[in-house]
Amino acid sequence: MNKNSLIFLLSSVGLIVLPHSANIPPALFGFFSLMLSWRFVCVWRPQYLPTTRILFFLTLLAFALLLSQHRHLLGRDAGTNLFILALGLKLLEIKAERDIYLVTYLAFIVAASLFLYEQSLLIAAYILAVCCALLATLVTINSIQVQTRAALKTAAVIILQAIPMAAIIFILFPRIEAPRWMLFEEKNKAKIGLSDSMEPGSISDLGTSEELVFRVKFTGAIPPPKQRYWRGPVLSYTDGKRWTQLSSQRFEAHTTPPRTTGIAYSYTLLMEAQEKNWVFALELPTQFAKPLAQTGYYQLINLENPTKRAEYQITSYLQYNTQRVTQIEYQDSIQLPREPSDKIKQLVTQLHGFDSKPDAFIQQLLNHFKQEDFHYTLTPPLMEDNPIESFLFTTRRGFCSHYAAAFVYLMRVAHIPARVVTGYQGGEFNTVGNFLEVRQANAHAWAEVWLENQGWVRVDPTAAIAPERIEQQLNLDQLELGGEIFFNASNAKHTNWLKKGLQLWENADYQWQRWVVNYSSNQSNFLSSFGIHDFKTMMQWLMALVGLITVLLSIFLLHQKKKAIDPVLRLYQQFCQKLQPTGLIITSREGAVDFAQRATTALPEHAEMIEEITAAFIQLRYGRVTTRENFIRFAKLVAKFKLNNRRLGWR
Amino acid sequence: MAGEKPVNDAITLTHRRIFILPTQRGLGMLLLIVLLLLIAFVYNNNLAYLLTFLLASVFFITILHTFKSLAGLVVQAGQCKAVFAGEAAGFDIHIHNPNSNERPHCQIKLTKPHSFTLKPHSKITLTLYSTTQKRGWHSAGTVTVFSTYPLGIFYAWSPLRFNVNALVYPKPSAIELPFPEAPSADTHQGASHKGTDDFYGLQSYQAGDSIKHIHWKAFAKGQGLFSKQYSGASTAAEVWLHYDYAAGHNVEERLSQLSRWVIDAEREQIRYGLVLPNLKLMPSNGLSHYQQCLEALALL
Repeated sequence: MNKNSLIFLLSSVGLIVLPHSANIPPALFGFFSLMLSWRFVCVWRPQYLPTTRILFFLTLLAFALLLSQHRHLLGRDAGTNLFILALGLKLLEIKAERDIYLVTYLAFIVAASLFLYEQSLLIAAYILAVCCALLATLVTINSIQVQTRAALKTAAVIILQAIPMAAIIFILFPRIEAPRWMLFEEKNKAKIGLSDSMEPGSISDLGTSEELVFRVKFTGAIPPPKQRYWRGPVLSYTDGKRWTQLSSQRFEAHTTPPRTTGIAYSYTLLMEAQEKNWVFALELPTQFAKPLAQTGYYQLINLENPTKRAEYQITSYLQYNTQRVTQIEYQDSIQLPREPSDKIKQLVTQLHGFDSKPDAFIQQLLNHFKQEDFHYTLTPPLMEDNPIESFLFTTRRGFCSHYAAAFVYLMRVAHIPARVVTGYQGGEFNTVGNFLEVRQANAHAWAEVWLENQGWVRVDPTAAIAPERIEQQLNLDQLELGGEIFFNASNAKHTNWLKKGLQLWENADYQWQRWVVNYSSNQSNFLSSFGIHDFKTMMQWLMALVGLITVLLSIFLLHQKKKAIDPVLRLYQQFCQKLQPTGLIITSREGAVDFAQRATTALPEHAEMIEEITAAFIQLRYGRVTTRENFIRFAKLVAKFKLNNRRLGWR
Repeated sequence: MAGEKPVNDAITLTHRRIFILPTQRGLGMLLLIVLLLLIAFVYNNNLAYLLTFLLASVFFITILHTFKSLAGLVVQAGQCKAVFAGEAAGFDIHIHNPNSNERPHCQIKLTKPHSFTLKPHSKITLTLYSTTQKRGWHSAGTVTVFSTYPLGIFYAWSPLRFNVNALVYPKPSAIELPFPEAPSADTHQGASHKGTDDFYGLQSYQAGDSIKHIHWKAFAKGQGLFSKQYSGASTAAEVWLHYDYAAGHNVEERLSQLSRWVIDAEREQIRYGLVLPNLKLMPSNGLSHYQQCLEALALL
């Protein structure tokens, strides 16, 4: 076994397992590292290789380790760990060439298992590079005296040539969901998004993370930033502190469909993996396909597994009229935990809540927020006991959920049906990829009131107190610092190029997620646009394209460039061809002089010419100095040479 | 696989002559691809799918690469020296790479494989040995040029049969018998020294004596340098090596004995003639006579 290829193999195996360090238990990773280092030492000190007995003991130890971590050997985690341990043990038992192949194949499986944990563009590029190194190991053991660099190059060339075909198969290979019995129970790894309840006073529960929640690609017009409300769960029940959802099944059968006007916005929504089955559509979604469904609160939910990234086609209208409400819905929307305090009633009276029209009262209340000493902050003081009253009269500091909760509460006091809507607001537009990115930091809460003839109408009290929050992006550095938020546009200029680069990267990542990672869910859409609808046509195209690529590659690979023939030799061959009709054919063992001798005896009348041509040829081909004139003379001689008609039997 | 008929000319390895099949390792890789496909399917993981398809394409493309490592080579059989039965006959094989791609690892096999590397537009000559058993013409058999480059998952080979034969002389008998007493019952033998062994004594070595005539055994025993003396002094003796007088139960044993005598006679520089049932070679010596005699024995 060549030492070089062994080092090569061990390094690539190490590189394959390295990213797994985050995914597998430390004990197992430690065990594998130990095996790998042991084998590395043995490259130079083969006497330290374990005996069969020690190897058996190590195998038992590995099994014990595995069983201590997992109760069974199926599933993603246990399977990955099993393969990693097997790889580690097999490293210590490389005896023949076939063991190297086994190790390489195991490493490929471990590489594939990494994709079950992470699917970013970076990790894919990394794995591709390491796969190249693994193939290069195979190249080194299949050739004598091939340098490591040359082997890597060969492997890279093979992989590069394989990519077009792999892409074709990837695009056309039919994706079928695995049957349920094949799926192993997995712990839910989805990230926590919006909560299904809201408790404004207790903690600062606004997510400030940059984590991506979904991306939106509009096919036509893009709604203005102020109008980008992504509807999530609707909270209509409150106990005075907490706001929670109520089931919409109690009334949704009686809900009249909303009437829509204005522009229809069609878009593709690419949701990241979620814990909940909520799908955040632009207010108000009207058209959507399975597996989506709409609740009585006009919220879209996914009826299938939400823990996978998925793509949906949705159409929404910004102008809508939801019309009547049912009795139950009305009752739910004016529900209050107890009789409001006098202080609150006094405020509502002061703002003409009881004696003016609902929209007048709404305006009054928003003005109240605007004119009084209310502040928008992400780190408000705690308001444990009576959050709404403390907020309205004492602290007057809060973020969206404080304003939304207080607003809805006061509406209900004035007998106007109102409820809190949570979701996301805004989103950053990626100019490179032409799509909108909505992050966890865009989480928002607003209010919805029901008005006669208008149906449910959105009112965002936060917009009144901090319109910048709605119109611009939050500066997240400031969010981290806490305190009051200032929206400073000049700051953005300094980081423009950085932002551009970031957008570029985000776009690449988006395209990657959309076209590669999430391809299963939009394969049929994509292929339909090419007129490929069914399994049979898919297979036919697959065969045809793979065949085409094979032909192209064969031509590219196997086409041998003919060595350029010396023009002198070519002219001489022409001369020989001219002699051919007389039966004079130069043999491979014959020199030009010998041939000339034969030719002159056979054709005495051409003797002079033949000798002249031969002499010129010898001088040009073997002579020390060859000039352009000589060549031209030779060319003319050959051109002039012509057999006698008699010789050709024309007579 | 016998393949095509034996040929005299150079053979260019083309798609008609190159066969290709996956090796055991290649089948292992297929198994790996199926396993990866299963993982991708169960987890509906598109990156795992991508890796699977990439490996499948690599597998497929390796067919072309392995084929390419042989395609275009020009193989020609060269000279082959005559040998005695039981010795290994060496066949010269010239391999020419007329193309601009390097052949990093090819192998050629007659009885055991040899590896070779060919740079673009270069030639190599290898001698392949094959053990002979019987006298007569020994055919080179099938020369297999093969390669598993680059990944060892495919085995491309080309069985080549050349019209080259090695002449195999009969194996010389191990028993040293004196040359036959009586020449053939030929009536025209009057001129020869009849009934005598040509060797008649030893004499002290004198400058000018042939080295071949030195009695080395005596020299080895420390008895000094002696030259063997043959009757007729200056002219070499003459023997007739007659098929009928050769000891042996069957043809092969007799030929084997004759072969031994031819070797001995040539070594002793005796003029020897050969009489076979169908052929008679007049007494002479020298390399060409020696080869003529042995060839006659080989082909009887």
